[in-house]
Amino acid sequence: MQKRFSWSLWIGSILVALLIILGLVGPHIAPYEVDFQERLSSTVVDGKTVITYPPLPPSEAHWLGTDKWGADLLTLLLYGAPYTVFVTIAISFIRLVLGTILGLYIGIQDKPQAWWLSIENAWSYMPIFIPVYFLLVGVNINSELSTSGLVTMFIFTVAILGVPSVAASIRQKTEQIKETQYVLAAVSLGAGREQIIFRHILPHLKEQLVIILVTEMIAIMTLMGLLGMFDLFVGGTYMTLDPVIYKSITNEWAGLLGSYRSFVYGNSIWIFLSPLIAFILAIGSFTLLAKGLRDKFEQSYNRTPFI
Amino acid sequence: MAYVKQILGVFFLVIVICGGPIMLTTVKEEVVFAPEKVVSHSVYLIQQIAGGSLGTYYLGDYERSIAADILPFAISTFELLFTSVLIAVLAGLMFGLFLQRFGFVRKFQRLLDLVSTIPDFILIFLSILAAVSFYKLTNIRIITLSPTSDAANSWFPILLLSIGPTIFLLKVISLKYVQIGGEDYIKTALAKGMSIWHVLIHHVYKNIMPFLLADLKKTIAITVANLFIVEYLLNVVGLTRFIFSKSSAYQFNSAVMGLMGIIFLSLLVYLLIRVILYLFERVVVYK
Repeated sequence: MQKRFSWSLWIGSILVALLIILGLVGPHIAPYEVDFQERLSSTVVDGKTVITYPPLPPSEAHWLGTDKWGADLLTLLLYGAPYTVFVTIAISFIRLVLGTILGLYIGIQDKPQAWWLSIENAWSYMPIFIPVYFLLVGVNINSELSTSGLVTMFIFTVAILGVPSVAASIRQKTEQIKETQYVLAAVSLGAGREQIIFRHILPHLKEQLVIILVTEMIAIMTLMGLLGMFDLFVGGTYMTLDPVIYKSITNEWAGLLGSYRSFVYGNSIWIFLSPLIAFILAIGSFTLLAKGLRDKFEQSYNRTPFI
Repeated sequence: MAYVKQILGVFFLVIVICGGPIMLTTVKEEVVFAPEKVVSHSVYLIQQIAGGSLGTYYLGDYERSIAADILPFAISTFELLFTSVLIAVLAGLMFGLFLQRFGFVRKFQRLLDLVSTIPDFILIFLSILAAVSFYKLTNIRIITLSPTSDAANSWFPILLLSIGPTIFLLKVISLKYVQIGGEDYIKTALAKGMSIWHVLIHHVYKNIMPFLLADLKKTIAITVANLFIVEYLLNVVGLTRFIFSKSSAYQFNSAVMGLMGIIFLSLLVYLLIRVILYLFERVVVYK
Protein backbone atom coordinates (compact mmCIF):
# COMPACT_ATOMS: atom_id res chain seq x y z
CA MET A 1 0.00 0.00 0.00
CA GLN A 2 1.23 3.43 -0.84
CA LYS A 3 1.98 5.62 2.14
CA ARG A 4 0.37 9.01 2.01
CA PHE A 5 1.91 12.07 3.52
CA SER A 6 -0.26 12.94 6.47
CA TRP A 7 -0.64 16.68 6.77
CA SER A 8 -2.64 16.64 9.95
CA LEU A 9 -0.14 14.42 11.72
CA TRP A 10 2.81 16.60 10.82
CA ILE A 11 1.19 19.97 11.42
CA GLY A 12 -0.36 18.66 14.62
CA SER A 13 2.95 17.36 15.96
CA ILE A 14 4.75 20.58 15.10
CA LEU A 15 2.08 22.71 16.75
CA VAL A 16 2.02 20.56 19.88
CA ALA A 17 5.81 20.72 20.06
CA LEU A 18 5.60 24.51 19.74
CA LEU A 19 3.01 24.61 22.53
CA ILE A 20 5.29 22.63 24.82
CA ILE A 21 8.22 24.92 24.02
CA LEU A 22 5.97 27.91 24.68
CA GLY A 23 5.02 26.38 28.00
CA LEU A 24 8.68 26.00 28.92
CA VAL A 25 9.97 29.41 27.88
CA GLY A 26 6.77 31.47 27.97
CA PRO A 27 7.31 33.38 31.23
CA HIS A 28 10.92 34.16 30.26
CA ILE A 29 10.17 35.76 26.90
CA ALA A 30 7.18 37.78 28.07
CA PRO A 31 7.63 41.49 27.21
CA TYR A 32 6.36 42.76 30.56
CA GLU A 33 6.23 41.60 34.15
CA VAL A 34 3.11 39.67 35.03
CA ASP A 35 1.83 42.39 37.38
CA PHE A 36 2.58 45.23 34.97
CA GLN A 37 -0.28 47.70 34.57
CA GLU A 38 -0.63 50.38 31.93
CA ARG A 39 -1.80 53.55 33.61
CA LEU A 40 -3.74 56.57 32.49
CA SER A 41 -1.54 58.85 30.46
CA SER A 42 -1.97 62.09 28.59
CA THR A 43 -0.14 63.03 25.43
CA VAL A 44 -0.28 66.20 23.40
CA VAL A 45 -1.39 65.64 19.82
CA ASP A 46 -1.70 68.69 17.54
CA GLY A 47 -1.79 71.02 20.53
CA LYS A 48 -4.57 69.12 22.21
CA THR A 49 -4.20 66.94 25.24
CA VAL A 50 -5.39 63.43 24.57
CA ILE A 51 -5.93 61.11 27.49
CA THR A 52 -5.30 57.45 26.77
CA TYR A 53 -6.53 54.89 29.19
CA PRO A 54 -6.80 51.13 29.21
CA PRO A 55 -8.12 49.00 27.58
CA LEU A 56 -5.59 49.87 24.88
CA PRO A 57 -6.10 48.31 21.45
CA PRO A 58 -3.32 46.23 19.91
CA SER A 59 -0.33 48.42 19.09
CA GLU A 60 3.41 48.16 18.82
CA ALA A 61 3.90 48.44 22.57
CA HIS A 62 1.18 45.88 23.26
CA TRP A 63 0.89 43.36 20.46
CA LEU A 64 -2.38 41.94 21.63
CA GLY A 65 -3.56 45.06 23.45
CA THR A 66 -4.25 45.39 27.15
CA ASP A 67 -7.23 44.40 29.21
CA LYS A 68 -9.52 46.80 31.07
CA TRP A 69 -7.11 46.98 34.01
CA GLY A 70 -4.09 47.75 31.84
CA ALA A 71 -2.40 44.36 31.89
CA ASP A 72 -0.61 43.35 28.70
CA LEU A 73 -2.53 40.44 27.19
CA LEU A 74 0.46 38.82 25.47
CA THR A 75 2.31 38.78 28.79
CA LEU A 76 -0.62 37.21 30.58
CA LEU A 77 -0.96 34.54 27.89
CA LEU A 78 2.74 33.72 28.02
CA TYR A 79 2.68 33.46 31.80
CA GLY A 80 -0.38 31.24 31.65
CA ALA A 81 0.97 28.91 28.94
CA PRO A 82 2.86 26.53 31.29
CA TYR A 83 -0.28 25.91 33.33
CA THR A 84 -2.47 25.30 30.28
CA VAL A 85 -0.04 22.92 28.62
CA PHE A 86 1.43 21.00 31.52
CA VAL A 87 -1.74 20.65 33.59
CA THR A 88 -3.42 19.16 30.53
CA ILE A 89 -0.57 16.76 29.87
CA ALA A 90 -0.26 15.73 33.53
CA ILE A 91 -3.96 14.98 33.88
CA SER A 92 -4.13 12.92 30.73
CA PHE A 93 -1.09 10.87 31.74
CA ILE A 94 -2.55 10.09 35.15
CA ARG A 95 -5.89 9.19 33.59
CA LEU A 96 -4.21 6.97 31.04
CA VAL A 97 -2.08 5.06 33.55
CA LEU A 98 -4.85 4.51 36.10
CA GLY A 99 -7.48 3.81 33.45
CA THR A 100 -5.30 1.31 31.62
CA ILE A 101 -4.47 -0.68 34.75
CA LEU A 102 -8.10 -0.70 35.87
CA GLY A 103 -9.42 -1.53 32.40
CA LEU A 104 -6.93 -4.37 31.85
CA TYR A 105 -7.63 -6.05 35.16
CA ILE A 106 -11.40 -5.71 34.82
CA GLY A 107 -11.40 -6.81 31.20
CA ILE A 108 -9.36 -9.94 31.88
CA GLN A 109 -11.93 -11.33 34.36
CA ASP A 110 -13.88 -14.32 33.14
CA LYS A 111 -17.29 -12.84 33.90
CA PRO A 112 -18.37 -9.29 33.13
CA GLN A 113 -18.25 -7.28 36.34
CA ALA A 114 -21.77 -5.97 36.91
CA TRP A 115 -20.80 -3.35 39.51
CA TRP A 116 -18.22 -1.88 37.19
CA LEU A 117 -20.56 -1.87 34.20
CA SER A 118 -23.12 0.10 36.16
CA ILE A 119 -20.51 2.69 37.19
CA GLU A 120 -19.32 2.93 33.61
CA ASN A 121 -22.86 3.32 32.35
CA ALA A 122 -23.90 5.98 34.83
CA TRP A 123 -20.68 7.88 34.41
CA SER A 124 -20.87 8.03 30.63
CA TYR A 125 -24.05 10.11 30.81
CA MET A 126 -22.74 12.54 33.39
CA PRO A 127 -21.35 15.77 32.01
CA ILE A 128 -18.03 15.58 33.82
CA PHE A 129 -17.78 19.29 34.55
CA ILE A 130 -20.66 19.13 37.02
CA PRO A 131 -19.00 16.90 39.63
CA VAL A 132 -15.67 18.66 39.12
CA TYR A 133 -17.30 22.03 39.60
CA PHE A 134 -19.16 21.02 42.73
CA LEU A 135 -16.12 19.41 44.30
CA LEU A 136 -13.80 22.32 43.67
CA VAL A 137 -15.99 25.40 43.98
CA GLY A 138 -15.82 25.46 47.77
CA VAL A 139 -12.05 25.26 47.71
CA ASN A 140 -11.01 27.19 44.66
CA ILE A 141 -12.48 30.68 45.01
CA ASN A 142 -10.55 33.17 47.14
CA SER A 143 -8.67 30.29 48.64
CA GLU A 144 -5.85 30.67 51.09
CA LEU A 145 -4.16 27.59 49.74
CA SER A 146 -1.05 28.08 47.64
CA THR A 147 -1.40 28.11 43.88
CA SER A 148 0.63 24.93 43.54
CA GLY A 149 -1.60 23.21 46.08
CA LEU A 150 -4.70 24.21 44.14
CA VAL A 151 -3.20 23.10 40.84
CA THR A 152 -2.27 19.72 42.34
CA MET A 153 -5.74 19.32 43.73
CA PHE A 154 -7.26 20.21 40.38
CA ILE A 155 -5.04 17.72 38.58
CA PHE A 156 -5.95 14.84 40.86
CA THR A 157 -9.67 15.60 41.02
CA VAL A 158 -10.05 15.84 37.25
CA ALA A 159 -7.77 12.87 36.66
CA ILE A 160 -9.60 10.53 39.02
CA LEU A 161 -13.06 11.58 37.86
CA GLY A 162 -12.02 10.88 34.27
CA VAL A 163 -10.61 7.41 34.90
CA PRO A 164 -13.87 5.45 34.27
CA SER A 165 -14.18 6.58 30.66
CA VAL A 166 -10.59 5.60 29.85
CA ALA A 167 -10.97 2.33 31.70
CA ALA A 168 -14.16 1.63 29.74
CA SER A 169 -12.51 1.75 26.34
CA ILE A 170 -9.49 -0.24 27.53
CA ARG A 171 -11.81 -2.84 29.04
CA GLN A 172 -13.71 -3.26 25.78
CA LYS A 173 -10.51 -3.72 23.80
CA THR A 174 -9.15 -6.16 26.39
CA GLU A 175 -12.30 -8.23 26.20
CA GLN A 176 -11.93 -8.43 22.42
CA ILE A 177 -8.28 -9.42 22.51
CA LYS A 178 -8.92 -11.92 25.32
CA GLU A 179 -10.96 -14.04 22.90
CA THR A 180 -8.21 -14.35 20.28
CA GLN A 181 -6.46 -17.60 19.49
CA TYR A 182 -3.04 -16.58 20.68
CA VAL A 183 -4.32 -15.68 24.13
CA LEU A 184 -6.01 -19.06 24.26
CA ALA A 185 -2.72 -20.65 23.26
CA ALA A 186 -0.91 -18.73 25.97
CA VAL A 187 -3.47 -19.82 28.54
CA SER A 188 -3.16 -23.46 27.56
CA LEU A 189 0.63 -23.16 27.80
CA GLY A 190 0.11 -22.11 31.39
CA ALA A 191 0.63 -18.36 31.25
CA GLY A 192 -0.50 -16.50 34.34
CA ARG A 193 -2.74 -13.45 34.42
CA GLU A 194 0.07 -10.89 34.54
CA GLN A 195 1.91 -12.67 31.76
CA ILE A 196 -1.15 -12.49 29.53
CA ILE A 197 -1.87 -8.85 30.36
CA PHE A 198 1.62 -7.50 29.93
CA ARG A 199 3.04 -9.78 27.25
CA HIS A 200 0.02 -10.45 25.07
CA ILE A 201 -2.63 -7.79 25.53
CA LEU A 202 -0.79 -4.58 26.37
CA PRO A 203 1.45 -4.62 23.25
CA HIS A 204 -1.71 -4.76 21.18
CA LEU A 205 -3.09 -1.68 22.85
CA LYS A 206 -0.09 0.54 22.12
CA GLU A 207 -1.67 2.49 19.28
CA GLN A 208 -4.96 2.72 21.11
CA LEU A 209 -3.18 4.16 24.15
CA VAL A 210 -1.51 6.91 22.16
CA ILE A 211 -4.82 7.94 20.65
CA ILE A 212 -6.56 7.89 24.03
CA LEU A 213 -3.79 10.07 25.48
CA VAL A 214 -4.28 12.75 22.86
CA THR A 215 -8.08 12.64 22.86
CA GLU A 216 -8.05 12.92 26.64
CA MET A 217 -5.95 16.07 26.30
CA ILE A 218 -8.64 17.56 24.06
CA ALA A 219 -11.34 16.56 26.53
CA ILE A 220 -9.42 18.07 29.43
CA MET A 221 -8.84 21.38 27.68
CA THR A 222 -12.55 21.52 26.85
CA LEU A 223 -13.34 20.79 30.48
CA MET A 224 -11.02 23.57 31.67
CA GLY A 225 -12.71 25.95 29.27
CA LEU A 226 -16.15 24.95 30.54
CA LEU A 227 -15.12 25.40 34.15
CA GLY A 228 -13.75 28.79 33.17
CA MET A 229 -17.23 29.77 31.98
CA PHE A 230 -18.43 29.19 35.52
CA ASP A 231 -15.55 31.13 37.08
CA LEU A 232 -13.61 28.15 38.28
CA PHE A 233 -10.05 28.62 37.12
CA VAL A 234 -7.10 26.27 37.33
CA GLY A 235 -4.87 27.32 40.19
CA GLY A 236 -7.41 29.46 41.96
CA THR A 237 -9.96 32.17 41.32
CA TYR A 238 -9.48 35.60 42.77
CA MET A 239 -12.83 37.27 43.36
CA THR A 240 -13.41 40.91 44.20
CA LEU A 241 -16.74 41.74 45.72
CA ASP A 242 -17.42 45.32 44.70
CA PRO A 243 -17.84 45.05 41.77
CA VAL A 244 -17.98 41.26 41.49
CA ILE A 245 -15.07 40.34 39.23
CA TYR A 246 -13.46 36.94 38.88
CA LYS A 247 -9.82 36.78 37.89
CA SER A 248 -7.55 33.87 37.20
CA ILE A 249 -4.53 33.77 39.47
CA THR A 250 -2.39 31.70 37.14
CA ASN A 251 -3.57 33.42 33.91
CA GLU A 252 -4.20 30.00 32.47
CA TRP A 253 -5.75 30.33 28.99
CA ALA A 254 -9.12 28.80 29.71
CA GLY A 255 -9.26 30.93 32.83
CA LEU A 256 -8.49 34.11 30.89
CA LEU A 257 -11.16 33.18 28.38
CA GLY A 258 -13.65 32.70 31.18
CA SER A 259 -12.83 35.85 33.06
CA TYR A 260 -12.91 38.02 29.92
CA ARG A 261 -16.10 36.46 28.54
CA SER A 262 -18.23 39.53 29.23
CA PHE A 263 -16.13 41.54 26.76
CA VAL A 264 -17.74 39.58 23.94
CA TYR A 265 -20.56 42.13 24.04
CA GLY A 266 -18.38 45.22 24.29
CA ASN A 267 -16.37 47.33 21.91
CA SER A 268 -12.94 46.24 23.13
CA ILE A 269 -13.38 42.88 21.48
CA TRP A 270 -9.63 42.11 21.36
CA ILE A 271 -9.68 41.44 25.11
CA PHE A 272 -11.92 38.47 24.45
CA LEU A 273 -10.44 37.46 21.11
CA SER A 274 -6.82 37.07 22.23
CA PRO A 275 -7.38 34.29 24.78
CA LEU A 276 -10.05 32.78 22.51
CA ILE A 277 -7.67 32.46 19.59
CA ALA A 278 -4.89 31.15 21.81
CA PHE A 279 -7.24 28.56 23.27
CA ILE A 280 -8.59 27.48 19.88
CA LEU A 281 -5.02 27.15 18.57
CA ALA A 282 -4.04 25.00 21.54
CA ILE A 283 -7.05 22.74 21.31
CA GLY A 284 -6.84 22.67 17.51
CA SER A 285 -3.27 21.43 17.52
CA PHE A 286 -4.18 18.54 19.80
CA THR A 287 -7.18 17.78 17.59
CA LEU A 288 -5.03 17.74 14.47
CA LEU A 289 -2.56 15.43 16.16
CA ALA A 290 -5.35 13.09 17.21
CA LYS A 291 -6.81 13.05 13.70
CA GLY A 292 -3.41 12.39 12.18
CA LEU A 293 -2.70 9.54 14.56
CA ARG A 294 -6.12 8.01 13.97
CA ASP A 295 -5.64 8.14 10.19
CA LYS A 296 -2.24 6.56 10.56
CA PHE A 297 -3.37 3.72 12.77
CA GLU A 298 -6.66 3.11 11.06
CA GLN A 299 -6.88 -0.48 9.87
CA SER A 300 -7.81 -0.77 6.23
CA TYR A 301 -11.49 -1.55 6.65
CA ASN A 302 -12.54 1.17 4.29
CA ARG A 303 -15.61 0.09 2.40
CA THR A 304 -17.46 2.01 -0.24
CA PRO A 305 -21.23 1.99 0.08
CA PHE A 306 -23.21 0.66 -2.86
CA ILE A 307 -25.80 3.41 -2.68
CA MET B 1 -38.92 -2.40 42.55
CA ALA B 2 -35.94 -1.97 40.24
CA TYR B 3 -37.22 1.47 39.27
CA VAL B 4 -37.55 2.54 42.90
CA LYS B 5 -34.00 1.36 43.47
CA GLN B 6 -32.78 3.34 40.48
CA ILE B 7 -34.59 6.50 41.54
CA LEU B 8 -33.13 6.20 45.03
CA GLY B 9 -29.69 5.64 43.53
CA VAL B 10 -30.01 8.73 41.36
CA PHE B 11 -31.23 10.77 44.32
CA PHE B 12 -28.26 9.62 46.38
CA LEU B 13 -25.82 10.45 43.57
CA VAL B 14 -27.35 13.90 43.14
CA ILE B 15 -27.04 14.59 46.86
CA VAL B 16 -23.41 13.49 46.89
CA ILE B 17 -22.59 15.68 43.90
CA CYS B 18 -24.51 18.70 45.14
CA GLY B 19 -22.98 18.23 48.56
CA GLY B 20 -19.51 18.84 47.14
CA PRO B 21 -19.30 22.54 47.98
CA ILE B 22 -20.59 21.90 51.49
CA MET B 23 -18.28 19.06 52.38
CA LEU B 24 -15.10 20.32 50.76
CA THR B 25 -14.12 23.77 51.99
CA THR B 26 -11.00 25.55 53.08
CA VAL B 27 -10.42 26.92 56.54
CA LYS B 28 -7.26 29.00 56.66
CA GLU B 29 -4.72 26.94 54.77
CA GLU B 30 -6.30 23.54 55.14
CA VAL B 31 -8.81 21.65 53.09
CA VAL B 32 -11.61 20.46 55.32
CA PHE B 33 -13.57 17.38 54.38
CA ALA B 34 -16.84 17.26 56.32
CA PRO B 35 -19.35 14.78 54.87
CA GLU B 36 -21.52 15.04 57.99
CA LYS B 37 -22.66 18.49 56.88
CA VAL B 38 -24.19 16.95 53.77
CA VAL B 39 -26.11 14.51 55.92
CA SER B 40 -27.61 17.29 58.03
CA HIS B 41 -28.47 19.30 54.92
CA SER B 42 -30.15 16.35 53.24
CA VAL B 43 -32.10 15.51 56.39
CA TYR B 44 -33.40 19.08 56.36
CA LEU B 45 -34.23 18.75 52.66
CA ILE B 46 -36.13 15.49 53.16
CA GLN B 47 -38.00 17.00 56.10
CA GLN B 48 -39.12 19.85 53.90
CA ILE B 49 -40.21 17.53 51.11
CA ALA B 50 -42.10 15.42 53.65
CA GLY B 51 -43.72 18.61 54.94
CA GLY B 52 -45.18 19.23 51.49
CA SER B 53 -43.00 22.10 50.30
CA LEU B 54 -39.79 22.18 48.36
CA GLY B 55 -38.22 24.89 50.47
CA THR B 56 -37.00 28.31 49.45
CA TYR B 57 -34.01 29.73 47.71
CA TYR B 58 -32.46 33.13 47.16
CA LEU B 59 -32.60 34.78 43.77
CA GLY B 60 -30.43 37.83 44.25
CA ASP B 61 -31.70 39.31 47.50
CA TYR B 62 -35.19 37.86 47.36
CA GLU B 63 -36.22 34.69 49.04
CA ARG B 64 -38.51 32.72 46.77
CA SER B 65 -40.30 29.43 47.03
CA ILE B 66 -38.82 26.68 44.91
CA ALA B 67 -42.20 25.02 44.34
CA ALA B 68 -43.61 28.18 42.76
CA ASP B 69 -40.70 28.62 40.38
CA ILE B 70 -39.80 25.10 39.42
CA LEU B 71 -42.66 24.58 36.96
CA PRO B 72 -42.17 27.63 34.69
CA PHE B 73 -38.41 27.12 34.82
CA ALA B 74 -38.82 23.47 33.93
CA ILE B 75 -41.14 24.28 31.03
CA SER B 76 -38.68 26.66 29.41
CA THR B 77 -35.84 24.19 29.92
CA PHE B 78 -37.97 21.42 28.48
CA GLU B 79 -38.77 23.46 25.38
CA LEU B 80 -35.09 24.11 24.80
CA LEU B 81 -34.02 20.55 25.43
CA PHE B 82 -36.76 18.78 23.51
CA THR B 83 -36.62 20.98 20.42
CA SER B 84 -32.86 20.77 20.22
CA VAL B 85 -32.76 16.99 20.52
CA LEU B 86 -35.57 16.71 17.99
CA ILE B 87 -33.69 18.95 15.56
CA ALA B 88 -30.58 16.83 16.08
CA VAL B 89 -32.43 13.57 15.39
CA LEU B 90 -34.22 14.94 12.33
CA ALA B 91 -31.11 16.54 10.88
CA GLY B 92 -29.10 13.42 11.64
CA LEU B 93 -31.57 11.18 9.81
CA MET B 94 -32.06 13.66 6.98
CA PHE B 95 -28.45 14.37 6.14
CA GLY B 96 -26.85 11.23 7.52
CA LEU B 97 -29.24 8.74 5.96
CA PHE B 98 -31.77 9.93 3.41
CA LEU B 99 -29.80 12.61 1.62
CA GLN B 100 -26.35 11.15 2.20
CA ARG B 101 -26.00 9.93 -1.39
CA PHE B 102 -26.04 13.46 -2.80
CA GLY B 103 -22.65 15.03 -3.26
CA PHE B 104 -23.50 18.38 -1.73
CA VAL B 105 -24.57 16.72 1.53
CA ARG B 106 -21.24 14.96 1.79
CA LYS B 107 -19.48 18.28 1.21
CA PHE B 108 -21.63 19.79 3.93
CA GLN B 109 -20.62 16.96 6.22
CA ARG B 110 -16.96 17.53 5.55
CA LEU B 111 -17.52 21.13 6.58
CA LEU B 112 -19.23 19.96 9.77
CA ASP B 113 -16.31 17.63 10.47
CA LEU B 114 -14.05 20.63 10.34
CA VAL B 115 -16.36 22.61 12.61
CA SER B 116 -16.65 19.75 15.08
CA THR B 117 -12.95 19.97 15.93
CA ILE B 118 -13.84 23.11 17.86
CA PRO B 119 -15.46 22.35 21.24
CA ASP B 120 -19.17 23.07 21.51
CA PHE B 121 -18.91 25.87 24.04
CA ILE B 122 -16.53 27.78 21.78
CA LEU B 123 -18.95 27.34 18.89
CA ILE B 124 -21.61 28.87 21.10
CA PHE B 125 -19.29 31.77 21.83
CA LEU B 126 -18.48 32.25 18.17
CA SER B 127 -22.19 32.30 17.35
CA ILE B 128 -22.77 35.00 19.95
CA LEU B 129 -19.87 36.93 18.47
CA ALA B 130 -21.38 36.55 15.01
CA ALA B 131 -24.80 37.63 16.25
CA VAL B 132 -23.36 40.73 17.90
CA SER B 133 -21.44 41.80 14.84
CA PHE B 134 -24.48 41.03 12.67
CA TYR B 135 -26.46 43.42 14.86
CA LYS B 136 -23.77 46.08 14.55
CA LEU B 137 -23.79 45.75 10.77
CA THR B 138 -27.47 45.47 9.99
CA ASN B 139 -29.26 46.59 13.14
CA ILE B 140 -31.25 43.36 13.14
CA ARG B 141 -31.37 41.89 16.58
CA ILE B 142 -30.82 38.15 16.90
CA ILE B 143 -29.94 37.77 20.53
CA THR B 144 -31.61 39.37 23.46
CA LEU B 145 -30.02 38.97 26.82
CA SER B 146 -32.85 40.31 28.91
CA PRO B 147 -35.33 37.48 29.51
CA THR B 148 -38.18 39.92 30.16
CA SER B 149 -37.66 41.97 27.02
CA ASP B 150 -40.27 42.02 24.25
CA ALA B 151 -37.67 40.96 21.75
CA ALA B 152 -36.74 37.84 23.70
CA ASN B 153 -36.74 34.90 21.32
CA SER B 154 -36.25 31.26 21.88
CA TRP B 155 -35.07 30.15 18.47
CA PHE B 156 -31.54 31.45 18.90
CA PRO B 157 -30.83 29.48 22.10
CA ILE B 158 -32.47 26.43 20.52
CA LEU B 159 -30.29 26.78 17.46
CA LEU B 160 -27.13 27.10 19.58
CA LEU B 161 -28.12 24.17 21.74
CA SER B 162 -28.78 21.92 18.77
CA ILE B 163 -25.29 22.41 17.28
CA GLY B 164 -23.54 19.94 19.60
CA PRO B 165 -25.96 16.99 19.43
CA THR B 166 -26.49 17.43 15.67
CA ILE B 167 -22.79 17.15 14.96
CA PHE B 168 -22.50 14.10 17.18
CA LEU B 169 -25.53 12.27 15.81
CA LEU B 170 -24.71 13.08 12.21
CA LYS B 171 -21.29 11.56 12.68
CA VAL B 172 -22.70 8.39 14.22
CA ILE B 173 -25.37 7.93 11.56
CA SER B 174 -23.19 8.60 8.55
CA LEU B 175 -20.50 6.28 9.88
CA LYS B 176 -23.07 3.51 10.19
CA TYR B 177 -24.49 4.43 6.77
CA VAL B 178 -21.11 3.86 5.17
CA GLN B 179 -20.69 0.54 6.97
CA ILE B 180 -24.19 -0.76 6.27
CA GLY B 181 -24.13 0.57 2.73
CA GLY B 182 -21.28 -1.82 1.98
CA GLU B 183 -23.14 -4.95 3.14
CA ASP B 184 -24.05 -7.66 0.69
CA TYR B 185 -27.78 -7.51 1.29
CA ILE B 186 -27.79 -3.92 0.06
CA LYS B 187 -26.06 -5.08 -3.10
CA THR B 188 -28.60 -7.86 -3.50
CA ALA B 189 -31.52 -5.50 -3.01
CA LEU B 190 -30.14 -3.08 -5.57
CA ALA B 191 -29.40 -5.90 -8.00
CA LYS B 192 -33.03 -6.97 -7.75
CA GLY B 193 -33.97 -3.53 -8.97
CA MET B 194 -35.54 -2.11 -5.84
CA SER B 195 -35.76 1.64 -5.77
CA ILE B 196 -33.23 3.55 -3.75
CA TRP B 197 -35.87 4.96 -1.40
CA HIS B 198 -37.14 1.48 -0.72
CA VAL B 199 -33.66 0.27 0.10
CA LEU B 200 -32.99 3.30 2.28
CA ILE B 201 -36.15 2.87 4.31
CA HIS B 202 -36.38 -0.89 4.53
CA HIS B 203 -32.78 -1.97 4.59
CA VAL B 204 -30.62 0.88 5.78
CA TYR B 205 -32.97 2.68 8.16
CA LYS B 206 -33.99 -0.49 9.98
CA ASN B 207 -30.38 -1.43 10.53
CA ILE B 208 -29.29 2.01 11.63
CA MET B 209 -32.14 2.23 14.15
CA PRO B 210 -30.51 0.17 16.96
CA PHE B 211 -27.39 2.31 16.82
CA LEU B 212 -29.42 5.48 16.76
CA LEU B 213 -31.38 4.38 19.81
CA ALA B 214 -28.22 3.35 21.63
CA ASP B 215 -26.63 6.72 21.00
CA LEU B 216 -29.78 8.70 21.77
CA LYS B 217 -28.93 8.70 25.47
CA LYS B 218 -25.46 9.98 24.72
CA THR B 219 -26.97 12.65 22.47
CA ILE B 220 -29.20 13.83 25.29
CA ALA B 221 -26.24 13.84 27.68
CA ILE B 222 -24.33 16.10 25.28
CA THR B 223 -27.34 18.39 24.96
CA VAL B 224 -27.69 18.64 28.73
CA ALA B 225 -24.02 19.53 29.12
CA ASN B 226 -24.47 22.30 26.57
CA LEU B 227 -27.75 23.36 28.17
CA PHE B 228 -25.85 24.67 31.18
CA ILE B 229 -23.72 26.89 28.98
CA VAL B 230 -26.51 28.14 26.73
CA GLU B 231 -28.80 29.02 29.62
CA TYR B 232 -25.95 30.63 31.52
CA LEU B 233 -24.55 32.70 28.67
CA LEU B 234 -27.83 33.74 27.08
CA ASN B 235 -29.68 34.44 30.33
CA VAL B 236 -32.41 31.93 29.62
CA VAL B 237 -34.46 31.45 32.76
CA GLY B 238 -34.42 27.71 33.26
CA LEU B 239 -33.62 24.96 35.70
CA THR B 240 -29.89 25.59 35.62
CA ARG B 241 -30.61 28.84 37.44
CA PHE B 242 -31.28 26.73 40.51
CA ILE B 243 -27.78 25.31 40.24
CA PHE B 244 -25.53 28.09 39.02
CA SER B 245 -26.74 31.34 40.45
CA LYS B 246 -24.98 34.40 39.13
CA SER B 247 -25.66 36.70 42.03
CA SER B 248 -26.04 34.67 45.18
CA ALA B 249 -24.05 32.04 47.02
CA TYR B 250 -24.36 28.31 46.43
CA GLN B 251 -27.60 26.80 47.75
CA PHE B 252 -27.85 23.09 48.40
CA ASN B 253 -31.64 22.77 48.29
CA SER B 254 -32.17 24.46 45.00
CA ALA B 255 -29.17 22.70 43.43
CA VAL B 256 -30.60 19.29 44.32
CA MET B 257 -34.01 20.28 42.95
CA GLY B 258 -32.50 21.70 39.77
CA LEU B 259 -30.36 18.66 39.07
CA MET B 260 -33.20 16.23 39.79
CA GLY B 261 -35.43 18.28 37.51
CA ILE B 262 -32.91 18.16 34.68
CA ILE B 263 -32.49 14.39 35.06
CA PHE B 264 -36.25 13.96 35.01
CA LEU B 265 -36.59 16.19 31.94
CA SER B 266 -33.91 14.29 30.05
CA LEU B 267 -35.77 11.06 30.76
CA LEU B 268 -38.97 12.64 29.49
CA VAL B 269 -37.23 13.90 26.34
CA TYR B 270 -35.77 10.45 25.77
CA LEU B 271 -39.17 8.79 26.01
CA LEU B 272 -40.83 11.39 23.77
CA ILE B 273 -38.19 10.99 21.08
CA ARG B 274 -38.63 7.22 21.27
CA VAL B 275 -42.38 7.68 20.77
CA ILE B 276 -41.83 9.97 17.79
CA LEU B 277 -39.42 7.51 16.20
CA TYR B 278 -41.88 4.68 16.82
CA LEU B 279 -44.68 6.64 15.14
CA PHE B 280 -42.39 7.42 12.21
CA GLU B 281 -41.67 3.74 11.86
CA ARG B 282 -45.36 2.84 11.96
CA VAL B 283 -46.40 5.52 9.48
CA VAL B 284 -43.55 5.51 6.99
CA VAL B 285 -41.75 2.21 7.25
CA TYR B 286 -44.52 -0.31 7.97
CA LYS B 287 -47.42 1.76 6.59
